[in-house]
Amino acid sequence: MSSTMKKMTCRALVVSLLALSFQTANAGMIGADQAAAAGAAQTDRGMVLSVLSRAETAAQLQAQGIDPTMARERVAAMSDQEVQTLAQNMQTAPAGALSSGGWVAIVVIAALIWYFAYRK
Amino acid sequence: MAVPQWTARLRAGFFYPLLFALVAGCAQLVPQTVALRTGWPEGVPRTVELTDVPFFADDGYQCGPASLATVLSYSGTPVGIEPLTQQVFLPARQGSLQVEMLAAPRRYGRVSYQLAPRYDALLREVAAGNPVIVLQDIGMMFTEWHYAVVNGFDYPSGTLYMRSGTMPREKIPFSYFERTWIKGGYWAMVVTPPDRIPVTATEDGWIAAVLAMARTGGAQAATQAYAAALKRWPDNLPAAIGLANEYHSRGDFAGAVGVLRTAQQRHPKSVIVINNLAQALSDQGRNAEALAVIGKASDPQGPFAGEVRSTRQLILQRMAQQKSGSHR
Repeated sequence: MSSTMKKMTCRALVVSLLALSFQTANAGMIGADQAAAAGAAQTDRGMVLSVLSRAETAAQLQAQGIDPTMARERVAAMSDQEVQTLAQNMQTAPAGALSSGGWVAIVVIAALIWYFAYRK
Repeated sequence: MAVPQWTARLRAGFFYPLLFALVAGCAQLVPQTVALRTGWPEGVPRTVELTDVPFFADDGYQCGPASLATVLSYSGTPVGIEPLTQQVFLPARQGSLQVEMLAAPRRYGRVSYQLAPRYDALLREVAAGNPVIVLQDIGMMFTEWHYAVVNGFDYPSGTLYMRSGTMPREKIPFSYFERTWIKGGYWAMVVTPPDRIPVTATEDGWIAAVLAMARTGGAQAATQAYAAALKRWPDNLPAAIGLANEYHSRGDFAGAVGVLRTAQQRHPKSVIVINNLAQALSDQGRNAEALAVIGKASDPQGPFAGEVRSTRQLILQRMAQQKSGSHR
């Protein structure tokens, strides 16, 4: 891909993300989330940062094996704060899943103990 | 008399400290269970079991989706494991993250609420009829994260009942459960319909949860959630703004004006209320009233000065149009 093409793609992506994230569909009405952010009203800068962290988190999800559309939808269901948390700790946060890893380890260690201690 | 003295000394110097250390050790291992033994939360029944909670068996990595399917179905949105896997499972981590567990129910118009990290919050929610998703570390040697649903407890026998993995009715002692629960920071969540506020929810926590749901939960669920929150906490500003915006976006300007008028009485200085009320009045065609309202937002340096300015412009523009229209 040529660099101009890359630039254009990036621009298109940024614009589409910005457009997608502006959820205040009501013309002229200030959103309820603005009222909740006590004192710290969301500035334009904050808005842009939020959009960027959403894009970054969606990209990280893709890197973890989620398809792009799904990744965007999953990020869309998160609050700004959740998006930022996830962007920071996606690799380290607990991922709940019942797996058999522990049992395998126990069996292996038991086998080793038996092999070295009891086998004559 | 040397021997008894020696025994007494041993008792005082060794045995009692050891006993103390053991008890203290226990308290450190399962501090909340020990606290429950002496102080059972007031008003919580001793035995509860929500037998209607469905069970979704999972024998692999899908305990996150299975737990969500359990609570979502119980809250009146029947959904299987398959679509939820698409929404929360992370292939590279072979599991589901807490943030995504909280996010997924919102798409079904349900509110997820993370509980305070305490046993009594868990027990109160179960007693109130809300099954609770918990994050456990059930690894024997290594950390192994697992989601399960607590749907009951029995204080006399010290047992919790859970839907977990392949077990439709796992019985687990309070103390052992706390050991598995402690490592995830006592993480627990409930999923409820938008008009059903969990019994342990705080005002700020619940409003934050509702706002997060309103992003993707659909207009109907958002309206219900804001209305219920406003009924419970009539002074809550975000709930009033949210409810009015929902009315406004579906074209019910009179409804929006009604909600905002009440909000204005309670928050006379809120620029957001002033701006939105003026906008809704103007959309109703009551531009003179709207202009009077927007005149009260005087601070040109405030965070919403831009919005206020454009609302005022819109009103003036509409008034000019009306004038030229009537002259014609």
